[in-house]
Amino acid sequence: MAGKSGRSISATPENTLKKTIFSWEGVLVILFIAVNIFCMTISDVYNLKNVLREMPKYLAEIFLLLPMAFILVLGEIDISVGSIVCLSATVSCMVCNKGIPFICVILVGILVGTACGMVNGAILTKFDELPPMIVTLATQIIFRGIAEIALGSGGSVSLSNADGFRAIAGRVGIVPYIFFLVIIFAVIAAVILGKTTFGRRVYAMGTNRLTAYYSGVHVKKIRFLIYTVMGALAGICALFMVSSSYGANTTTGSGFEMDAIAMAVFGGISSTGGKGNLAGGIISAFIIVCLRIGLGQVNMNPQLILLILGVLLICAVALPNVIAEIKNARKVASRK
Amino acid sequence: MEKKSIMKKITGSREALLLVVLILLCAAVSLRSPSFLSVQSIMEMLKNNAVTMIMSLGMLCVMLVGGIDISIMSTLAFAGMSVGMLLKYGHVSSTLLCFLIAMGIGIICGFLVGLVISRAAVPPIIATMGFMYIYRALAYLVGNSEWAGADALGSFKDFALGSILGLNNVIWVTIICYVIFFFFMKWTRTGRKIYAVGSNPSAAEVSGINVKNIKLLVYSIMGFLGGLGGALAVSIYASAQPNMQYGKEMDVIAACVIGGVSMSGGRGTVIGALLGSLILSVIAKALPIIGFESIYQNTIKGVIILVVVVVNVVMQRASDKNNLKGREM
Repeated sequence: MAGKSGRSISATPENTLKKTIFSWEGVLVILFIAVNIFCMTISDVYNLKNVLREMPKYLAEIFLLLPMAFILVLGEIDISVGSIVCLSATVSCMVCNKGIPFICVILVGILVGTACGMVNGAILTKFDELPPMIVTLATQIIFRGIAEIALGSGGSVSLSNADGFRAIAGRVGIVPYIFFLVIIFAVIAAVILGKTTFGRRVYAMGTNRLTAYYSGVHVKKIRFLIYTVMGALAGICALFMVSSSYGANTTTGSGFEMDAIAMAVFGGISSTGGKGNLAGGIISAFIIVCLRIGLGQVNMNPQLILLILGVLLICAVALPNVIAEIKNARKVASRK
Repeated sequence: MEKKSIMKKITGSREALLLVVLILLCAAVSLRSPSFLSVQSIMEMLKNNAVTMIMSLGMLCVMLVGGIDISIMSTLAFAGMSVGMLLKYGHVSSTLLCFLIAMGIGIICGFLVGLVISRAAVPPIIATMGFMYIYRALAYLVGNSEWAGADALGSFKDFALGSILGLNNVIWVTIICYVIFFFFMKWTRTGRKIYAVGSNPSAAEVSGINVKNIKLLVYSIMGFLGGLGGALAVSIYASAQPNMQYGKEMDVIAACVIGGVSMSGGRGTVIGALLGSLILSVIAKALPIIGFESIYQNTIKGVIILVVVVVNVVMQRASDKNNLKGREM
């Protein structure tokens, strides 16, 4: 990519079988199969029906992964999404308790998320010297703070009429609605990032924002749009969170930003920008979901599962770098 | 070079500006409640925020080389839990030994983080995110779903109650850390190397600094302070729980950012980190006094961070414009 010679702007990728298998996505698919076989051997209740039944509560985080992938490709980061989920879940619960038609509740949930995303985007485009990490750190504290104020001293709200939320938690046969929704959103996001001009511009900005700006990319507009979409999808995630817990509290969605980033990075999307694609991110998300369900079924300590995920994350990023370094060292040695 | 006027010095130096803000803040709060500036209340505030204040020194070093570490509070919990469990089951009873063990665990944790970041070239935010999960999980596993209460800790909790020359032990530790770091960052070779790596890594590399080792050192320092913070937190709060200080790493980062430490590295001072964490703790203490309920605290804290960074950018832009004007003449 960028930096090496700068001359080969678009090298045509070779689609050989070997390349497909040894690409990171190929490794992930193999890992996905391996994880499933592993889970089936350790747990006798690990089958399609049970997995689909337990999936909804983990799937909601994939909504966050999709726009997070765009932000990471930009070379930026948004750590406020967990708090957006919290605020949006709180507000939609409260609105729902007022007895407003359910369609309005959904709209309110998404609108709150979008508004939060717009705040992030507006600050980041207005003062583009600021690192996104700091701005979203501040808004992370602010959004959760607003939710805390709204929730009052009790710190939680529960639904008095859960009919609407029970409806969106429904399923076709054994497959929950959220599964279809996740797949549809994932395909749309993957196509936008991989196949459209917009997606190429995002990569260009991630590789070198200044160059992209000088070659006519509307840098500000694109950044604002992506942060806003991030907020909107956090709103959708919040609705599904409410539909699985029938309420919200001050810790709703805490740590989701880290989970979403971990999924994306594990899927080969570099946090330094300009690299990776959504297919990898989505496969890795399903690997993590399956691993969590499988290990949860054998009553493994949830903390131990987090430990395994942490080790996997670090290895996934460190190993390719270490291998590349060793190869490089060998090349230098053979040249001598 | 002509002499700068005092006024210009104050507006020009970030630290002086922060000091003015801090003094104004204290004055405003003490108008409302005179007891705020009593010696006892200040000592209480310093003691309760000692952990954040000490950790912000490590974060200063990490941010100076352009990194970030969000695993620190997990390191703290791991070290604190280990000490708590050792005390609970009577394996150790000496306070000094406990501190040494906690600091040792901290150094090892930090060293591992530094190894992954400097040798395997993993971006700091990703690596420390992974270690945040790992060390927090280890804290839970060490505890084995138990926690150490005040009676299990024995004489260890007396450390935070005792005082030398009228100052609480915890405050002494904080002061010693700050004095050491002030000299370390300003006048030692290694301290200057950290600044050099932060301002321009390739230039530092060319001039013979081992950038990788400096990064390793910086994260080890952070881990060391995390371990120290773990022992202190157990002693101050007289309990060791696996979820202690959960999410507080953001406070430490916020303190550094308010203190003028740049996220891109190379800019920031020990005094700045001190003032930043002092301002945060004064705000946290002052809000209930001026009549805000504690649920408003986080929102106000977030707004303050945002305002500080935005004001910083606006001022930077203005000074850039002024410099350009000077050139045109």
